[in-house]
Amino acid sequence: MTNRLPWWMGGILMSGLLLLTFSIYGADRAIGASTYVPYAAALIFDLDPEKYSYINHIKDSGSWEGVMLLGVLFGGFITSVFITKSFRVSLIPTAWKTYKNNSVLSRLLWSFFSGFIMIIGARLAGGCTSGHFMSGMSQMAISSMIFGGVVLITLVVTGRLFYNTKGDK
Amino acid sequence: MADIIFVANEINTTVTDRVFKMVENVIHMEHGSVALVFLIGVIFGGIIQYTRVDKFEKIAGFSMLKDTIIPKMLFLAVGITTIGLYFMIEAGQGHYHVKPIMVQGLVIGGILFGVSMAILGKCPGTGPVSIAEGRVDVLIGAIGGLFGGLVFTLYYDDFFKPLMGESLGTSILPEFFKGHEALTAIVFGLAVIAVAIAIPKKELFDEADLNQLPDNQRPDRK
Repeated sequence: MTNRLPWWMGGILMSGLLLLTFSIYGADRAIGASTYVPYAAALIFDLDPEKYSYINHIKDSGSWEGVMLLGVLFGGFITSVFITKSFRVSLIPTAWKTYKNNSVLSRLLWSFFSGFIMIIGARLAGGCTSGHFMSGMSQMAISSMIFGGVVLITLVVTGRLFYNTKGDK
Repeated sequence: MADIIFVANEINTTVTDRVFKMVENVIHMEHGSVALVFLIGVIFGGIIQYTRVDKFEKIAGFSMLKDTIIPKMLFLAVGITTIGLYFMIEAGQGHYHVKPIMVQGLVIGGILFGVSMAILGKCPGTGPVSIAEGRVDVLIGAIGGLFGGLVFTLYYDDFFKPLMGESLGTSILPEFFKGHEALTAIVFGLAVIAVAIAIPKKELFDEADLNQLPDNQRPDRK
């Protein structure tokens, strides 16, 4: 058995999952994966919904995605142990060493910082790669096309400026 | 007295209680059973892990234009789903759930999201999959994300909501081609699929991962 699926197979399977989730036999909603984060923050820090309106605003999406997240962690773990065999504890990605630096501290600080602004960005836009890019564009939503265009451009510009890619082919 | 004890109990709800409350919310919603929502997550995590698109080398690699698996897979999924979803909804088997056009929020949010996706090499959907395969740096990123979510929630009314701007509605592309809605969906879907196929395939591999595989199973040695 192969331990990597080709991109086209991944695209077809993901499309099947999106359609299942949208259908009335599935969940009759879109897949999203960023609302669970502020929901989890409210849950962990025990924020009072009376005081912070955003908690009530995201109550439904947040709990739906929260349950989905538990599934994602489980599915990702099982697949990484038994199929892709990629499970291992690591602090720094290989390509970070090649194109950035060898410092664990640098990687962890940048991770914390980028995680922080990623969630603020996703919540400002009202979605992420799943909610906007995949689910939104599949509905031909104008909002998601604006988001997708901005993300694609900034992603590639940041990659060019942040990583040291000079000197290799 | 009884009231006081009751109040004290309310305050002392534990994280576990609140997780149960979360599951209870899903039970009372009309968006699939808890088991189905969990299963959707399992399949989602499984597809992402099995195609390895959660990898830093794939997402940060794409930002350096050294790996194109992410856009190829994303655009293909979008193209197929667009056509399938349009006809599914026409047949009454589903509904659109379109997000509002809030230009400022979309642009500022998109910029922050694009920058952080390049640096972290994950997004909120692929991050948990990487944490599940033992990536500690991503876990630190998720903790950063929790604080981001906390700050967003605390300052939503005063700062973030005004920053997002007014909603300009929830338009979708077919609304601009009245009378040709089905054709719009088919053309858009096929165009996106064509883009997915046309993007040249480039891959950046992670030696540390591949070393765990037997020689004849390594995707870079075929």
